[in-house]
Amino acid sequence: MTTTSTTKPLIEMRDVRKSFGTYDVLNGIALDVREGGVVCIIGPSGSGKSTILRCINGLIPVNSGTIRVGDFAVEAMKTDRELIALRHQVAMVFQQYNLFPHRTVMQNLTMAPIQVLKENPADVRERALKLLAKVRLTGKEDAYPSQLSGGQQQRVAIARALAMQPRVILFDEVTAALDPEMVSEVLNVIRDLAGEGMTCVLVTHEMRFAQEVADEVFFTDRGVIVERGPPKQLFQSPNDPRLKDFLDKVL
Amino acid sequence: MNLDFSWLADPYYQYWLLRGLGTTILMSVLGLVLMMVIGIAGALIIHLRVPVLATWTTLFVEMFRNTPPLVQLFFLYFMLSEMGLTLTDPATGQRIPIFSGFTCAVLSLGLYNGALAIEIIRSGLLAVPSQTVEGARSLGYSRVQTFRYIELPIGLRLSMPAMTNNVVSLIKTSNQAALVAVADIMYTATQIMLENFRNLEVMIFVWVVYVALSSLAVVAMRYIDRLIRIPGYGAVA
Repeated sequence: MTTTSTTKPLIEMRDVRKSFGTYDVLNGIALDVREGGVVCIIGPSGSGKSTILRCINGLIPVNSGTIRVGDFAVEAMKTDRELIALRHQVAMVFQQYNLFPHRTVMQNLTMAPIQVLKENPADVRERALKLLAKVRLTGKEDAYPSQLSGGQQQRVAIARALAMQPRVILFDEVTAALDPEMVSEVLNVIRDLAGEGMTCVLVTHEMRFAQEVADEVFFTDRGVIVERGPPKQLFQSPNDPRLKDFLDKVL
Repeated sequence: MNLDFSWLADPYYQYWLLRGLGTTILMSVLGLVLMMVIGIAGALIIHLRVPVLATWTTLFVEMFRNTPPLVQLFFLYFMLSEMGLTLTDPATGQRIPIFSGFTCAVLSLGLYNGALAIEIIRSGLLAVPSQTVEGARSLGYSRVQTFRYIELPIGLRLSMPAMTNNVVSLIKTSNQAALVAVADIMYTATQIMLENFRNLEVMIFVWVVYVALSSLAVVAMRYIDRLIRIPGYGAVA
């Protein structure tokens, strides 16, 4: 994929607001991600981090504001057909893996490309085998998700996202449900992806990892981006007192 | 007490009983097919909240789940004709009911147990983890595709224990067809009793037949359950 860092960003959120009932989750989010960029979103629980990701791929409709992904105006999308085209470009990996428990590892990877994107099954299978090798799970093709460890399931989920050949992958606290010894095997895969130029948006509590892989870090609190910047600046010389307070607690 | 089963050796009775058993099995199988079609279609309509249809389906469930199946059968068999829904027999020129007793029995089984099946399948669908559904949505699955490829396959598996009860209930309820003169095993048994007065022996035989049929159904359902079980998933032992 060619880098187009000088042109307009791949993802552009402007003044995005979202409330659940009377509870305001997002109070005017602005966020840019350039193609090939790695962006980390950090912040306290309930600050709206996961909601930002779900707005980007249209899982949650927004109340107001604009979200552009490539040429898609996400906030205007209503029908399944529109959303399919968007989700072909924006894949997501979840905290709880969200794999299909009734299908094998191989089927988890091939189902959506075949059933949703109507691709040729033989091509998809070939691609899936390569992806399984990439996430170091060769030989697990016929296993069912619940026969795998958490770290292995999460790597299947990443391979499943990649099988859609997306332009960007959203990672929603993908290591939060894992045992400590399995965190690194998942982070290694994400590090590889970031190194290969895949556009990644990560919501994470792994501060050291954020510092290492991110081009830019966004700190959210109470539904707004309080501070943003390169990781070094944000972690070592934070300006906002809320960010300082947060970093004191987590580092 | 002197039990005498020698009548079972009578080829004439054997033929009756076999015909009756065949009718019971055929009614049950057709009823089961109709039950599953109604169950899946109804669950789909209510689950996806299809406008208008969902309200009608809910109404259907309440109407058929909350009335005795015998009342439903009598409605189909007697009341439809009473209400003027009849055909004219081309041979005799007489007005005959649109549905035969057999058809009415199958319809009533399918409708009654189908209404229960809708609720059973729906409870299975509701037990599918929301994360699994979200995973499908994030991959671009439409609501109908999510239902077909994700929710239904998992939900049906989760509803297997409750569905087994429903299947057995349908087989047992099929005997009410005897009341609209369908020659099932129950009807045949009654005819034999009228001829040989061996009421106790005949009823013991009928008892054994239903135990055997229901047990076979349970074994079959367990076999299917094992066949489709998701390795390592769920609390089902």
